[in-house]
Amino acid sequence: MPPHNEDGEKFEGFSQRWKDFPDYILGITHEIWESRGLSTLNHYYADDVIMRFPDGLLRGNQTVINGTMATIVEFPDRQLLGEDVIWSGDGKGSYLSSHRIITTGTHLVDGVFGKATGKKFRIRVIADCAAKNDTIYDEWLIRDYGGMVRQLGFEPHDFARSLIEAEGGLENCRKPFHPSHDVDGGYHGTGNANAWGERYANILTRIMDKDFDLIAREYDRACISELPGSRTVVSHHDIDAFWIGLRSSFPSAKFEIHHQIGREDPMMPPRAAIRWSLTGKHDGWGTYGRPTGAEVHIMGLTHAEFGPFGPPGGTVRREYVLLDEVSIWKQIHMHTGAVG
Amino acid sequence: MSIPGFDPRWKDVPDYIHGITEDIWEKRHIHALKDYYADDIIVRSPATVVQGNKGVIAATLATLAEWPDRELPGEDVIWCGHAEEGTLFSSHRLICSATHTHPGAYGAPTGAKLRYRILADCAIRDNQVYDEWLVRDQGAIVRQMGMDPLAFARDQIAREEGKEACVKPLTPANDKPARYTTSGNTTETGSHYADLLTRIMGAEISVININYDRAAQLEYPGGVPALGPKGASEFWIGLRASFPNAQFKIDHVVGNEEAGRPNRAALRWSLHGKHEGWGTFGAPSQADVYILGISHAEFGPRGLHREYVLFDEVAIWKQIVLQKG
Repeated sequence: MPPHNEDGEKFEGFSQRWKDFPDYILGITHEIWESRGLSTLNHYYADDVIMRFPDGLLRGNQTVINGTMATIVEFPDRQLLGEDVIWSGDGKGSYLSSHRIITTGTHLVDGVFGKATGKKFRIRVIADCAAKNDTIYDEWLIRDYGGMVRQLGFEPHDFARSLIEAEGGLENCRKPFHPSHDVDGGYHGTGNANAWGERYANILTRIMDKDFDLIAREYDRACISELPGSRTVVSHHDIDAFWIGLRSSFPSAKFEIHHQIGREDPMMPPRAAIRWSLTGKHDGWGTYGRPTGAEVHIMGLTHAEFGPFGPPGGTVRREYVLLDEVSIWKQIHMHTGAVG
Repeated sequence: MSIPGFDPRWKDVPDYIHGITEDIWEKRHIHALKDYYADDIIVRSPATVVQGNKGVIAATLATLAEWPDRELPGEDVIWCGHAEEGTLFSSHRLICSATHTHPGAYGAPTGAKLRYRILADCAIRDNQVYDEWLVRDQGAIVRQMGMDPLAFARDQIAREEGKEACVKPLTPANDKPARYTTSGNTTETGSHYADLLTRIMGAEISVININYDRAAQLEYPGGVPALGPKGASEFWIGLRASFPNAQFKIDHVVGNEEAGRPNRAALRWSLHGKHEGWGTFGAPSQADVYILGISHAEFGPRGLHREYVLFDEVAIWKQIVLQKG
């Protein structure tokens, strides 16, 4: 009998060594990036995998291997600790894993972040990976780049400027991801129909519709939100301030939900994973300063955990929001030309 | 749904605990302490033993005068017992945020914005709290005010007019007998966590690698976050190394296993003995120290996933300074 996932769905097409889909995701992450089995990427990543990062799109597992080597050289003690895997399956052997990771490391070698400083960082990453037949073939990944650069002693807007310069200026620099560059990687799922995913999608949609007062009702008073820039905030006021600050910089941008998963698993709170985006003009005062009219695309990945407190039906107790501040600033600077 | 013997407005123990906390300390119904706290309640914290609800009211007023914007959202309530037997018990974890805007026990206002945790073990019956053990993260408070716990303990002794006159930290010698004498409930989760801590305190540190999730998120005294088995080992070894022969005792164990929640456990424990080793508390002083600890743990599919441990570093240093200068 093939192994089964926790919800009873057969887990077929994957090596027998994995007991279920989360085990596969946690296992290959460890094998590839921590045990340094980089060459196993040839097996675990499809030759023509599409990886979308806020700072650009990568194609093919050889590109991924090269990028990974550069990171490992600069941060040789990097660890990737898998916090959660929120996943869905299409019933036909294709899965989507929204994998939340805490990554830690020490800046020991000169590299993208300049001269080695010996500074330590600890940030979150969420990776949405589509997998079938033991192989990842489509991916969306956001690192808390803002948190990383802050912990290494920079500010995201300055760092974005220095990246543009280091990459050869406005014309030549690597272009942040925009839907107009997207390539079909083969995964067309939109998640599952679980009520917790639906509820969290609805919360985010209403927040983005500027219905901010729902935060006081839908979030627990003691809700802890882990926000971009490795900021941990507690309770309604600061959660509200984050979402208003973001929306108010891009008040007319289009908010879209691309993928939503809800899950109820043993020994876990009900939880949700949403992939969303905000696309449009930087035309308001907010977290990103003076409006510039820049066209910006923001990739967002968020996880939420629900708990029993507050009004009937419970409330959001933990939220993890990933977006890449550096790539947002890069798009703004590329528009204003305010570099160097 | 309500609790026998309690005001029907409370639907269950967590609701009562969250509700009265909000009423008393946030909505300022401080007089309600006369109803919600028994006249002869004993509130033990590592810093001192307070007797009677009048004492609690006085302490509450002093705190609110110094920290008027204090908020106390409740993060969790791990509970056990039976209303009919008068044995209901709640271990309540709170995240406190406050700004130091007025002078008080912490000295002249510093303007510091603080965030720290509190763990409060309360025995309740007939709509009242009648016995309490409370650990506030004093180490986090003083660090966020720019001081270190040892220096603060020294200052505190001076502010309290010296070693003789100062308020004495909790020890078995000045503790008052508990009226709540139950030792909790019996669950796999509670027993498992109690066993883990007992073995860790028995220097069987290897149990950490087996039982803590690689991504375990740990919140330790002083507001110090740590990560994974390595973070847990460093913390527990550091504590034990300072008090290598002290007696470790678990006084109370609660486990809650509910659908839609991680399995959770709350322990109250103590470490009592000589400060005779190098560890978290620096050079051995040979002082006799009593440490009251409360800890909460959450278990997920890959082991212990979250742990919250509190003891009061200032009260530990105060005991050391009082005995050794």
